Amino acid sequence: MVPFLVLTLLGLGLFYFQNLVLFPYVHLRLPSLLIFYASLQPRLALAFYLAGFLGLLQDSYALTPLGLHLNGALVLVAAGRLARRRFLMTSPGSQVLASLAALAAQEVGLRITLFLVGYPHYFMGKVKWLHLVEIVFTALLAPLLFSLLQALERVLRPWGWSAVTADDSS
Amino acid sequence: MPFFTRSKSRLRLSLIVCATLVLVFSLLSLSLRKSAALRQLESVAVSVTAPGFKALSAGGQSLKRLWFGYLYLVGVQKENETLRRRLAEAVQREARYQEALLALNRLEALLDLKRQLALPVIGARVVAYDPSLWSRAAIIDQGRSEGVEVGQAVVAPAGIVGRIVETYPHYAKVMLIVDRNSGADAMIQRTRVRGILEGKGGNRCSLEFVPKNADVQEGDLVLASGLGGIYPQGLVFGKVTSADKKTAGVFQKIEVNPTVDLSSLEEVLVVKTAKLALSP
Repeated sequence: MVPFLVLTLLGLGLFYFQNLVLFPYVHLRLPSLLIFYASLQPRLALAFYLAGFLGLLQDSYALTPLGLHLNGALVLVAAGRLARRRFLMTSPGSQVLASLAALAAQEVGLRITLFLVGYPHYFMGKVKWLHLVEIVFTALLAPLLFSLLQALERVLRPWGWSAVTADDSS
Repeated sequence: MPFFTRSKSRLRLSLIVCATLVLVFSLLSLSLRKSAALRQLESVAVSVTAPGFKALSAGGQSLKRLWFGYLYLVGVQKENETLRRRLAEAVQREARYQEALLALNRLEALLDLKRQLALPVIGARVVAYDPSLWSRAAIIDQGRSEGVEVGQAVVAPAGIVGRIVETYPHYAKVMLIVDRNSGADAMIQRTRVRGILEGKGGNRCSLEFVPKNADVQEGDLVLASGLGGIYPQGLVFGKVTSADKKTAGVFQKIEVNPTVDLSSLEEVLVVKTAKLALSP
């Protein structure tokens, strides 16, 4: 219960932070990074829950069809599960590269979904440099955010974090 | 045994992937069909989370006032306690007055606009934006209960902001004129040349379908023509920043910059005269 609650609050906090502090000057996909981190954890349900929550939250504030950001979030979960099985992500470099790959996959997923639901100009249009900068800078922040979250996990261990995220599934 | 375990694991993975795909595409399909249940879900999400934006924004302003009006001057207090306290009080008061003065100026401008429009309007405050790069939308703190309806125009003292595309009990979603799905009939003030103003994402618009022989120059004002029944005639959309006739085809390439700073909106007016309730 503790990880679900903490990640919900963190996700909501990052969404508020992005909207009230960063927008419109800085574009970063911090909620996406949080979803990617959750999908690297042993428990798949946690990643699914967070992807659903943050995906629908972002969809509710956007004009794009409801389900688009949810789809992007689920692509991140898939990328996270794949990265978890294939790579040992202990060094900052590998975390940045894995995040970069996951965010790029999310971008491709979003564009394909938009194309499929009838917004061809998003798919066919040029990849804007702003999207690229957003992805690269978000990926560069991955080691920092991951270490902060790991520190938070250590702090919350006495309250049941590790018991729920124990390696009981993959 | 390992064979059975592996095939069980594969079956589970396939089931998860299939279920996920079915869920996502069902949601997208329902969303495109404007499902009432999904609108309800979206309404709940916005209604539950938007008050957080208002509270955090108000809290942030108070902290800012406290910082600039009091804590920032702690170093001075060490030199002269009494003088510092008086100064802090004065600065705090000054900051409050300045804030009130700025709010008064903004509200006076809105009131002027309300008089100019001579149309029934509702004052609203912008509480949140869509922070993603995929669409340009804002959430305002007036909704269905206050009489806001889909299709109504949203304006600011400097010009047109956008139109209402979704309403919730106490909030509404505004599609900004720079959103890629936004389109409106517009005209050049100087020459009365007409075209369709389309959003281009980011902070840009373009005036489409203007023939090459039409007289359009940099700096021309682009106004709402009143056709379409959403935006009141004569209100400003923006200024022409470039007009390129050296393009293929029969039309010019005209870029328009909105006169309203659509990234830092505070108070806006919702014009209650929507004749058409267009979907986004």
